[in-house]
Amino acid sequence: MTRDIWARAKRRNPDSWIGYLFIAPSIVGFSVFVLYPLVTSVYYSLTAWNGVTPPQYIGLRNFIYLFTSDVAFWPSLKATGLFVLMSVPSSIALGLGLAVLLNRKIRGIRFFRTIFYLPVVLPSVATLTLWKFIFDPKFGFANELLQALHLPTSLWLGSYSMALPSIVIIGLWGVGGTMIIFLAGLQSVPEELYEAARIEGGGDFTVFRAITLPLMSPIIFLELVMGIIGATQAFNQPAVLTGGGPGFSTDLFMYNIWQNAFQNQQFGLAEAQVWILFVAIIIVSLFTFRLSTMWVYTDENGEP
Amino acid sequence: MALGKKAEEAESQEIHHRALGLGKATRWNIQRISLKQIAVVSLIVVLAAVMMLPFFWMITTALKTNNAVYQLPPQFIPTSFDLSNFSNGMRAVHFVRLFINTAIIAALSTVGSVLSSMWVGYGLSRIRFPGRRIWFYIFVGSMMLPGIVGLLPLFRLYDSIGWYNTWLPLIVPAWFGNPFFIFLARQFYLTIPRSYDEAAKLDGAGHFTILWRIMVPLTRPVWITMAIFAFQGAWNDYLQPLVYLYSQSKWTLSLGMASFSGIYNTPWNEFMATDLIYMLPPLIIFFVAQRYFMEGLGSLGGGSLR
Repeated sequence: MTRDIWARAKRRNPDSWIGYLFIAPSIVGFSVFVLYPLVTSVYYSLTAWNGVTPPQYIGLRNFIYLFTSDVAFWPSLKATGLFVLMSVPSSIALGLGLAVLLNRKIRGIRFFRTIFYLPVVLPSVATLTLWKFIFDPKFGFANELLQALHLPTSLWLGSYSMALPSIVIIGLWGVGGTMIIFLAGLQSVPEELYEAARIEGGGDFTVFRAITLPLMSPIIFLELVMGIIGATQAFNQPAVLTGGGPGFSTDLFMYNIWQNAFQNQQFGLAEAQVWILFVAIIIVSLFTFRLSTMWVYTDENGEP
Repeated sequence: MALGKKAEEAESQEIHHRALGLGKATRWNIQRISLKQIAVVSLIVVLAAVMMLPFFWMITTALKTNNAVYQLPPQFIPTSFDLSNFSNGMRAVHFVRLFINTAIIAALSTVGSVLSSMWVGYGLSRIRFPGRRIWFYIFVGSMMLPGIVGLLPLFRLYDSIGWYNTWLPLIVPAWFGNPFFIFLARQFYLTIPRSYDEAAKLDGAGHFTILWRIMVPLTRPVWITMAIFAFQGAWNDYLQPLVYLYSQSKWTLSLGMASFSGIYNTPWNEFMATDLIYMLPPLIIFFVAQRYFMEGLGSLGGGSLR
């Protein structure tokens, strides 16, 4: 039966083997770099594994330990949740705002778009270390500025309450990445729609609410999902800036995983955490997807 | 043509307004628009200035003398310059060696991911074969998988074949196609009329010739965009080198800079000078290829995303 189908397919597409020759790299890549680790990681999450000697099967002990006795697990989860809640909405709102602001035909507008996009191009470590100095409590630019304005200063990355917001602020410097996607979307909105709305007497705010927002909602949704997936996997900020502290305030989940694996030599435990993170990402994404039917605009054909 | 139409519209509007006795209001209107425009432009300028402040702080710090860095209140524009920050900072992180390491890794992985992704993208868009659609969905779907899931098993795999503390884990996977690039390439190849292939086939061209002589030249913005993304990804990567590279002589710049910033009492002027040079390659590439980049990204947002 299967041979029949294959033979028929072969008769209709004599090129089949060439097709597979072309996609062969990705088939190999998918099998080795995606499928193999995905499958084996399920097993590793059920083992005690120190990275040197072979993993030993211990059932659900890693998960039980994480949920009940690991001191870092819940604080780390909380820090990650707070980070997502603070960074994703602010970056979308700011990105959309900037895109609307820069989506006009003014001479030299490309220059400004480039300026806003520039921080995105920079290496993450370069950006983070630059801000580390800006946030230096004594000699940094941030406190100098606040002092000059006679405002209270902060310990920034060294403060329990401000460390996470500081990291969010650093992320917002790279808002150009979100902006550029919104800009591309805005530029594909037909000009007539805006003209029609203006003729109807719609002010800027009305036009934004009645046209821009609905038409951008599929892109907002995309940015939301990508933003959540990206933010839950943030690693460089605690690794380069804070080491997870003060306390557990910036102990983002990815950093905690890395610490457990490569510093505490508890690879099995770390792999269990990876799976918790993975499942959490799936749940949050599905939830976002579910909610999206309420606010993402689709045309009559149901296509965004 | 369009201009003529606009002028016509304006004229008819004016007639309309005059007929209604709105001449004065129209003039007011024009004035209000220009006021609003001034407000918008100044807002843009102010925000852009805020975005540039960290750069400004970085550059002035890089030029300051040791005393000036730790002077209170700080000098926003330094009065004396110390260019030795650049040489001292670069010596402190073994900059030249790390720069060469990073450049080799970035170049090899960029070439690999662009070539392999164009290759696979061509197969998925130009050759009919059973299972083509399913494989496309599998590749694109694998993009959604968080990279962290594979990190530890792959670490074990690479370790077992002796790739730990080598550049191979950072380079080799790139040669097996990047799902996002494959998606990009396929979307663009689909926009090239099939008649081009047919014509080339009549002239005796095979798939390889069609890919190399027709697709690649016609989709330049796409592979330039891919190359920029790939280069930046490799140049900026921190987690993978941190996991795989143990010996300092094999480090990338991201590792070197992070460790330089983490030492006790970092000499910030020397650090900023070095950081500036670390930023330069991606910046230069961005400016040189910006036109293609925006084109490639623009069509991404405008076309395939909607």
